[in-house]
Amino acid sequence: MAEALFKIAVSAMSGRRNRLKIFPALTLAVFLLPILVGLLFTWAPAFGYLSAAGSNRFSLEPFATLLHHPSLPGALRSTFISGIGASLMSLGLALWIAATLYGSRLWSTIELSLAPLLSLPHAAFAIGFSFLIAPSGWLIRSVSPFPSGFTYPPDWTTNGDPWAISLTLTMLFKETPFLLLMIFSGLSRLDVRRTIWVGRSLGYHRLRIWTRLIIPQLYPMLRLPLLAVLAYSLSVVDLAYIIGPSLPPTLAVLIDRWFHDPDISSRFVGAAGALLLLLVTLACISSALVLEYLISKIASRKILDGRRKSPFELLVGSGSFYALILLGVNVLSLTALMLWSVAHSWRFPHFFPARFSFSNWSTALSHLLEPVFVSALAAFLSCLLAIILVVGCFENEQNLARSRIDSISQRSLWIIYLPLLIPQISFLFGIQVLLIIFNLEGSWGTLIWIHLVFVLPYVFLTLANTYRSYDQRYSYVGTALGARPLRSFFRVKLIMLTKPILFSMAVGFGVSIAQYLPTLYVGAGRFATITTETVSLASGSDRRVMAVYALSQFLLALTGFLTAIVLPAIMFRNRRAMQN
Amino acid sequence: MAYCPKRLLSIVIVMLTIMLNLAPALARDWPQIIAAARGQTVYFNGWGGSEVINRYISWAAGQVNQRYGITVKHVKVADIGDVVSRILAEKSGGRTSGGSVDLMWINGENFHAMKDNGLLLPPYTQMFPNYRLVDTENKVSTLFDFTVPVDNQESPWGMAQLVFLYDSEVVNDPPSTMAELLEFCKDHKGRFSYPAPPDFYGTTFIKQALLELTGERELLYKPVDIGKFDQVTAPLWVFLDALHPHLWRGGKAQPKSAPEMKRLLADREIFISLSFNPAEASNAIATGELPESIRTYVHEGGTIGNTHFLAIPFNSSAQEGAMVLADFLLSPEAQARKSDPSIWGDPTVLALAKLSPEQRTLFDTISLGVASLSPEELGPVILEPHASWVTAIEKEWLKRYSK
Amino acid sequence: MSLVLDSIKISLGTVQLFKPLSLTAPPGSIVTLMGPSGCGKSTLLASICGMLDPGFSFSGTIALNGRPLNGIEMEHRKVGILFQDDLLFPHLDVFGNMAFGLPARMSRRQKRERVNNSLAAAGLEGFGARDIATLSGGQKSRVSLLRALLAEPEAILLDEPFSKLDENLRGSIKQFVFDQIGLMNIPALMVTHDRSDSADGTYIELK
Repeated sequence: MAEALFKIAVSAMSGRRNRLKIFPALTLAVFLLPILVGLLFTWAPAFGYLSAAGSNRFSLEPFATLLHHPSLPGALRSTFISGIGASLMSLGLALWIAATLYGSRLWSTIELSLAPLLSLPHAAFAIGFSFLIAPSGWLIRSVSPFPSGFTYPPDWTTNGDPWAISLTLTMLFKETPFLLLMIFSGLSRLDVRRTIWVGRSLGYHRLRIWTRLIIPQLYPMLRLPLLAVLAYSLSVVDLAYIIGPSLPPTLAVLIDRWFHDPDISSRFVGAAGALLLLLVTLACISSALVLEYLISKIASRKILDGRRKSPFELLVGSGSFYALILLGVNVLSLTALMLWSVAHSWRFPHFFPARFSFSNWSTALSHLLEPVFVSALAAFLSCLLAIILVVGCFENEQNLARSRIDSISQRSLWIIYLPLLIPQISFLFGIQVLLIIFNLEGSWGTLIWIHLVFVLPYVFLTLANTYRSYDQRYSYVGTALGARPLRSFFRVKLIMLTKPILFSMAVGFGVSIAQYLPTLYVGAGRFATITTETVSLASGSDRRVMAVYALSQFLLALTGFLTAIVLPAIMFRNRRAMQN
Repeated sequence: MAYCPKRLLSIVIVMLTIMLNLAPALARDWPQIIAAARGQTVYFNGWGGSEVINRYISWAAGQVNQRYGITVKHVKVADIGDVVSRILAEKSGGRTSGGSVDLMWINGENFHAMKDNGLLLPPYTQMFPNYRLVDTENKVSTLFDFTVPVDNQESPWGMAQLVFLYDSEVVNDPPSTMAELLEFCKDHKGRFSYPAPPDFYGTTFIKQALLELTGERELLYKPVDIGKFDQVTAPLWVFLDALHPHLWRGGKAQPKSAPEMKRLLADREIFISLSFNPAEASNAIATGELPESIRTYVHEGGTIGNTHFLAIPFNSSAQEGAMVLADFLLSPEAQARKSDPSIWGDPTVLALAKLSPEQRTLFDTISLGVASLSPEELGPVILEPHASWVTAIEKEWLKRYSK
Repeated sequence: MSLVLDSIKISLGTVQLFKPLSLTAPPGSIVTLMGPSGCGKSTLLASICGMLDPGFSFSGTIALNGRPLNGIEMEHRKVGILFQDDLLFPHLDVFGNMAFGLPARMSRRQKRERVNNSLAAAGLEGFGARDIATLSGGQKSRVSLLRALLAEPEAILLDEPFSKLDENLRGSIKQFVFDQIGLMNIPALMVTHDRSDSADGTYIELK
């Protein structure tokens, strides 16, 4: 399949340029239809239709049951607190770190740490972070029994608290690196250094320069990532299981439970819940857009008031503090996982395992090979397809822009972001039914397709800024020197963009590796990936084995990033200008 | 997807498939089934949260591959409900054969749901050579899964009995009734909890409390009588209302599962946990997951016990292979190995009296493990109440404690 | 009233970028610094502004109107900067870009008046509401200079200000810039690699 697409890509580019238009159309086909049908099929039981359970009559009873469910108000509260709290806070934190640290050494450190930070899977981080903050966890162990006096863990409510604070923090620490990545990528299109220079020469404090000059230009590039974070935080299931509240859990967890409740009639309530979660998500997205509009209205009135000083000047130093906390929490969670993976026994209040053992690794190793291979292959193929489609779409976009043609399919490309904005749980059940009807589930093609659905938007997001700011004149020079357009595209443009292309593929690689529900729903149990194995072990009790699998997941994703960093460094080892 | 003719058609197809596919299978004798199984790939779907269990299954997979030429793929899932969902989706999509699941680890409510919705293969376990060795006389739960008749639609695999694990380093005299447990919690605030229902273990704890506390136990074995629900369950709510403020984290949060409880016990956050496997403590001590000081106890008058099973979905694409695997897992050899606490420690469903002397020695040589109770100490098994009670109790519990 | 640089040395690691530099720029004059690309001209400007990247080390003293600039935050140095790229803010219109440089004490009406006067004087009457993207290169350069001057700097630095302009525009823009600086009567320091950029043909070679 990949090969066929590649041939299409090549022939499209070698022929007349307008053949490029198949890329947006093809890309949309990958997404639109299956998701819409998936949504409809998932909703059917909410209105009383589930033929397998012998129900074929229109009914609104599932909604009545849902709305009267005793856990619903509490679940909605936790969902709102953690979803909205985590996304706004991570945006705030990422921007604050950028505004206060831009250009400093710590800023470069953060840029270098993004790859490992993004490689650490959400669930793995949550397990580590939960161990960090639990009453029996690492932080309290560090002061126990001396000087805290605790010989037994205190009965405090830290992880899994009913107010969803620990869940919110987990997502904050996990989503901030992603938004920072998007900020780095967005800033690459702006002349930040000299904007700051001009701004300061006009007498403005650097915070003011960010709020008045940089963020207004940067935000349009952050809008989608922010909305994706919002939708993700509202609908996340695995993190909420690990560190979310229990009485009641979040709405997404309730729905997930209804979908696999032994009582099949729960599927009706589950479907109604999935629809509600979608509405909640859409409502939050709309509110975010309204809020953005209001803030931009207020800001545009103040932007020219000429005030140079910022009321927050004294807090500038806190940027490095927050950045260090962000890095520290991630490093500590990862370290805790590493220690667990080589622990034999490790009880409170021991700061280090009482006994070490490498048997966790040695026994797991033989079981790890197949899932690692399956994950790597699925991730590699879906990334390859994604990058071909994405590059094709960008080429078409630039082609259209040059000839000033408006194209519906190109303009509709925002649809590829749908999978990021719609809760997975609200359409995967429907897709599963669809695939079963057409006898397509459990095949490699389907697995790669469903991964592509989630990989492509991230590849698109990560590559967009660099690809769009590529100086087309390099290719013109190539063509002028006698290379055919296609040759100049492959020999000049793609080579010059190797680094960002590989990096966006690495992001996509990581996204593919992390897919749990999609693999579960379309895989028909035929594909054991490192993530399905990790999640199933996470439902058990043995933290040591969990740590081994979570770290393997991390290492696999990290390999993707390292390849993206090392490969260009080797390719261009004699080209200094290509190093940055 | 919803209009009638199509559905009728699909029912007809199901019937036809069953007749065409299964009638010959049922007529065949065991050697024929073994012959048909050769070369098949069996997708065995089951909870994969325990490396100990996963290793055991991978041993069994190796054995049936060697002996019968069957390839077993262990599909590890976090919740078997996901698999029930998939089979349901397959049925919705009209997939009456060539299904993705061949054998699944199941019991209780999931079995009930699958049986009710026609997701199981018609009766077949009576053909298994090893089925004759099952202790159906004394282990009634091998015939009635949570009061629902098994009807040979699932194959008994292992026995379970609710036991409590405690840390003998801090608890000298473990409670032996619910009332004593409450006293314990008052003395050791925050050192006990139970998983929040609808988690299986949480529900079991509540059922155990209800069975111990109610004066009308016999009513619990009949379908729920809404008129008498309040009266029968009143002592339970009084008990739980008194217990909750003294639970771990003041009852404001509860563990989400029994495995989480086991971690809390290992972390010293709680002193008493619960399990369905009487040998779990011994096994976990052997692997280093729990410390040496963990011991097991049960309540006076017995605790809830049940059986877990292996079932073949109606549309399995390797029925014969699944049957051979299920039968192998029922063999004295496999059952003995499974009951060894250093391997897994899951009690056998077989009747030792029905075994040959050689077969019995397989069991005799197994040491019980430091933290396990002998069959005498384990005491009587209380049967699961009628499934309809569970739904009603869970609903009431959610209303009271999960707002 | 002048910009005085005294034995400025900048090095990256052990490499010194240019020979120690001392100069005095009197008010209203434009001192031209010449040097091939890569000789550290822009780095010198960065050091005068206090925007030197970490990694560079700096010694010497900078004084503006007798007030030492070393160690002063850039926003308090009152040194304007003009780049070869106009660096106009694309999210603001022409008026917005220019008013951004005006002090807070002015009322909205005063700001509008001031910008309009300034635009009129520069031959850009009625350009206030124009989107930056619709301006020609020469217009951008003029707006950019006006913006820098409206902030009332006490000195201005010009970083190859004309190198991106068309040949036919160059003369008139150059004249415009020099006239405006003359009117403001502030010292100016221009770095360029093109000796014809120099106001009066004199320049200091940066080596």
